[in-house]
Amino acid sequence: MKKKLVSVLLAAAMSASLLVGCGEEAAQTVQETAEAVQETAQDTAEAVQETAQDTAEAVQETAETITDYGTGEIKIWVADNVVDFTNEQVTNFIAANPQFAGYTVTVEAVGEGDAAGNMITDVEAGADIYAFAQDQIARLVTAGALEVVEDSNAEAIKAQNDAGAVGAATVGGTLYAYPLTSDNGYFLYYDKSVVTDPSTLEGIIADCEAAGKNFYFEINSGWYQTAFFFGAGAELTYETDDSGNFTKCNSTYASDAGVVALKKIAEVASSKSFQNGSAVSNATNCAAIVDGTWDAQAAKDMFGDNYACAKLPTFEGADGKTYQMSGFGGFKLLGVKPQQDENKLAVCDALAAYLSSEEVQLARYNAVGWGPSNLNAQKSDAVQADEALSALADQLQYTIPQGQYPGDYWSLATSLGDSIISGEIKADASDDDFMKALTDFQSTCESYAQ
Amino acid sequence: MKSYKTKRAIGNTICYIILILISIIWLFPFIGLVLQSFRSYATEYGGMVDYLVPKHFSLDNYKFLFDSSQTNYLLWYKNTIIIAVFVSLLQTVIQLCVSYALSRMRFAGRTFLMRFWLILGMFPGFLTMICLYFLLKQFGLTQAGAIPGLILVSVASCGMGYYVCKGYFDTIPKALDEAAMIDGATRSRIFFTMIIPMSKPIIIYTALVAFMAPWCDYVFASYVAFGHDTSYNVAVGMTRWVWTNDYQGYFTRFCAGGVLVAIPVTLLFMFLQKYYVEGVTGGAVKG
Amino acid sequence: MAQGADKKKKSAASLFLGALGNGFKEIGVTFVEGDIKTKLSYIIFGLGPLLRGQILIGAALLLSEGLFFYYMAAFGWQYLSKFSTLGTIATKKVGRKTVYGDNSFLILLFGVLCIFAIIAFVAIWYINVRENRKEELLLKAGKKLPSNKDVFMSLFDKNFHKTLLALPVTGIFVFTVLPIVFMILVAFTNYDKNHQSPSNLFTWVGLENFKNLVSFSGAGIGGTFVQVLLWTLVWALFATFTNYFLGLAVAMLINKKGIKFKKLWRTILVLTIAVPQFVSLLYVMKMFANDGLINGYLIKWGIIKNYIPFWTDPMLARITIIVVNIWIGIPYMMLIATGLLMNIPEDLYESARIDGANPWQMFRSITLPYMLFVTGPFLLTQFTGNLNNFNVIYLLTQGKPQSVNLAEKAGYSDLLITWLYKMTVNDTNYRMAAVIGIMVFVVTAVISLVVYNMLPSVKDEEGFQ
Repeated sequence: MKKKLVSVLLAAAMSASLLVGCGEEAAQTVQETAEAVQETAQDTAEAVQETAQDTAEAVQETAETITDYGTGEIKIWVADNVVDFTNEQVTNFIAANPQFAGYTVTVEAVGEGDAAGNMITDVEAGADIYAFAQDQIARLVTAGALEVVEDSNAEAIKAQNDAGAVGAATVGGTLYAYPLTSDNGYFLYYDKSVVTDPSTLEGIIADCEAAGKNFYFEINSGWYQTAFFFGAGAELTYETDDSGNFTKCNSTYASDAGVVALKKIAEVASSKSFQNGSAVSNATNCAAIVDGTWDAQAAKDMFGDNYACAKLPTFEGADGKTYQMSGFGGFKLLGVKPQQDENKLAVCDALAAYLSSEEVQLARYNAVGWGPSNLNAQKSDAVQADEALSALADQLQYTIPQGQYPGDYWSLATSLGDSIISGEIKADASDDDFMKALTDFQSTCESYAQ
Repeated sequence: MKSYKTKRAIGNTICYIILILISIIWLFPFIGLVLQSFRSYATEYGGMVDYLVPKHFSLDNYKFLFDSSQTNYLLWYKNTIIIAVFVSLLQTVIQLCVSYALSRMRFAGRTFLMRFWLILGMFPGFLTMICLYFLLKQFGLTQAGAIPGLILVSVASCGMGYYVCKGYFDTIPKALDEAAMIDGATRSRIFFTMIIPMSKPIIIYTALVAFMAPWCDYVFASYVAFGHDTSYNVAVGMTRWVWTNDYQGYFTRFCAGGVLVAIPVTLLFMFLQKYYVEGVTGGAVKG
Repeated sequence: MAQGADKKKKSAASLFLGALGNGFKEIGVTFVEGDIKTKLSYIIFGLGPLLRGQILIGAALLLSEGLFFYYMAAFGWQYLSKFSTLGTIATKKVGRKTVYGDNSFLILLFGVLCIFAIIAFVAIWYINVRENRKEELLLKAGKKLPSNKDVFMSLFDKNFHKTLLALPVTGIFVFTVLPIVFMILVAFTNYDKNHQSPSNLFTWVGLENFKNLVSFSGAGIGGTFVQVLLWTLVWALFATFTNYFLGLAVAMLINKKGIKFKKLWRTILVLTIAVPQFVSLLYVMKMFANDGLINGYLIKWGIIKNYIPFWTDPMLARITIIVVNIWIGIPYMMLIATGLLMNIPEDLYESARIDGANPWQMFRSITLPYMLFVTGPFLLTQFTGNLNNFNVIYLLTQGKPQSVNLAEKAGYSDLLITWLYKMTVNDTNYRMAAVIGIMVFVVTAVISLVVYNMLPSVKDEEGFQ
């Protein structure tokens, strides 16, 4: 009713300014019309909002007297290929917990990358529960898009998941998210018929060059790059406080170890076989690619019978020493958005805990092949027998669990990688040049911590 | 005389060679797109390859697009058509109104309005994206309501793009209006019964341009849909297949989807090309 | 030139002041000479017209006043009152529940709206006063006031422009003017990823962001800004003129006497206009990739040994973009040129031929000057359009390659507009995005103004009528 009234007013206001001041003050009048209408439009919006609020409150009041949790809508964002799976699990969850039956759950396909970006842009419109890659967690905490995991759940999560996953979900000393997978690491997929010995980087590249095939390594990604830096012994970690602010940066990139790594990256990039990339489906004429478990199926399709995978190779540094490539072990997490309604929050907590539980992680592995972070699920026979996951497990002993990094780090690393690919930093540059680039890099990294 | 003829023949031959070369360059990407769209998904997977002609032809990718249990492509397509039709209709109406007022009537503030809009047009559109998003959100026109929201935004500000249409109206002699007014016709009568019937080419041009724009809009459309994938248009849905890592092996599907998008727009364009040429030429001269 | 502009400004200023003075005088005179109806109208809008039988006008005025007060009291005031701080109440936790505090974004947005509403209110008040004056003078002169029906019907005749423009102007105000004013103000706040509504507050910081833009030391982005700006200008110049001349050449080629299948050639070319760019450009991007079709074939055929880094080498990326843009732009220019070339009187060429001019001379002395004269404004709009040509750059390279030498994630092929986009969407760095947006406006406006005044064909708008 209110809304109708307002729209009538709106029409009236428009005619008001139209009729007045015939002819002379046209432009002015027209502008006023605009403003008058704007006012009314605002009123409409407000009126609608008010009514909605009233209703919501009324609903809530009645709800409280009847059941414990009332009704509501919960929105979940997960990657497209697990939407169906998640829908199934949500149905199971509601069936097992009739006290939450008042909630309608919708699952939408928003990938891990988009989800974090969207949540930060508009928390209110974002999903209540969403999956994201761990590199986003600090940003999300700062933006107020993650609710602290409830104490009882937190105990269980810490006990049941691997230490790396728990560390990834922790900012400062607080657990902010539910670990979902522990397979966000990378290793080598290769074509057996081309690469004879996957144990040294030089050998792989030589084989690829000889066969005229491509070797893919995404060196302009801060995530893949670390395989070289950490492998050579350089360090880069950050410390955060509880609200997601970066307080300290520990970096030894500007060191001899850093120079060895950067030099090696530049050398790899100068190979004619080298291609920058880490997605099987974008790779052409590919004989070897450094990639993660999510591409296992695609890699099998691409290499066919020659499909093989292995831990990352070793490389020989300019100083003559041999280094094992390292890198990040990363994790996918599930987050719950801060809520204005405690009941809904309780439902979200329970649902998120369920979606990251042992049986659902195992079911998810069976459905789409995501490696679980739950310790018991990791021990299951199916997971143990998985080729790609075991290559990853081999690699994981050389990697460091990925902690928190500021968003700016990733793009800074992209810049460093791009500079190498574009030849701004050349393989035959002097050690001083490398050192200078690394010193700049390190001091920029340090500037991200306050 | 003979030498002139041979010279001319040689000249024409060179021209033909250049034209054929140009045609090859211009058609090459489209041929590639079509060929890739027919690549068999089952035997050659859907990723990138470094050869042009598929080893096996099949309709796998098109079948995928039409299978609504696997993708919302058809829904996105429908959304885009809805947006394009509404935007096209409403923009045309509004631009005609604005153009008529600015071309035919003289009133205080007219030049001020034109100058003001010209200045407004110099601000980059992306600047206001975040603000528009929150404005639309106040009206409930984001996410599930993204389609009307997008229509509203593209229609609301289209009055500023009156140039081509006004330029056309300017060429219709004013004497016609004056004669009609002496006969007692009102301004609105002149507009509806004289000017509009005379403006068929420019109406078609305006509608065509407005119809084509939404097919390309992915920047703002993805903002407004905000992850609600039933509100996507084709551009938003399909660019994700190329840009995000969640969609492995979607390259041939992207090509197939692209072909399906290109067909109606291209056909429409080809049929109405004459009017388009008239519009852009007129617009270019008037600036 | 500068003096002239100065004089103009002065006269405009004095005109404005004069008008303002007259306005105040009129308000005073109306009050003093007006009857009780008019005097009451100063507080109750439209009372005079209502009592004099001008129901439509009076009701409209009264309604506007009512709406204004309703809006301000019920809604606007709570935002406007916090406008100077953009909110002080922080978001807090009650138990596990989150209670959001002030929303700086909405305070800024609706605060701006309130200010507009107040300006509108004053203007309507002034119109109200003048309406009373007008009616009184008419009545004093013994004339009759127009009937309500007349007033209404005038909207379709004498005041038809108001009917026509009401909706477009409203739309432009809400969805263009308001957001632009809002974003200009954002340039003076610290609205970024660490100060994001509703969880965090943001506030005014004065000129800090602009200082950052022109600061060349440390974390300042001055150097990067200059670099991106230069490339933006170079790009716009190349994109505009390569397309212009090559498009003209192709048009002349197709129009040449003796060339057959004219329609076929044109149709092939205009495919690039018809096919949506996100399809064609994304495919072209993949085609030129390091591991793409072109490099693949060139290596297979043994023409090159190593791939050509079309998109990853800064210089090459820029060149490739310009080349691909030619592919996009020639057809458009070709269509325009085809239409215009037909307008050149044939006898000009005829007489030139008799004088023994060769084709090149004819092109230089007839075709080119004509085209340049007619398409001057078009070239200018193309140029400013290219300054903001988002699609070509973003679909092809997304501004890459990035570099350690550039700040704020800028890449070597970034235009100001793609940089702005990345700041907004990837970084939610709205404060700097707003500053860059203002810079884009300044660049566009300055170039347009300077060039526009130099164009020969711009003088007379009414000339064609």
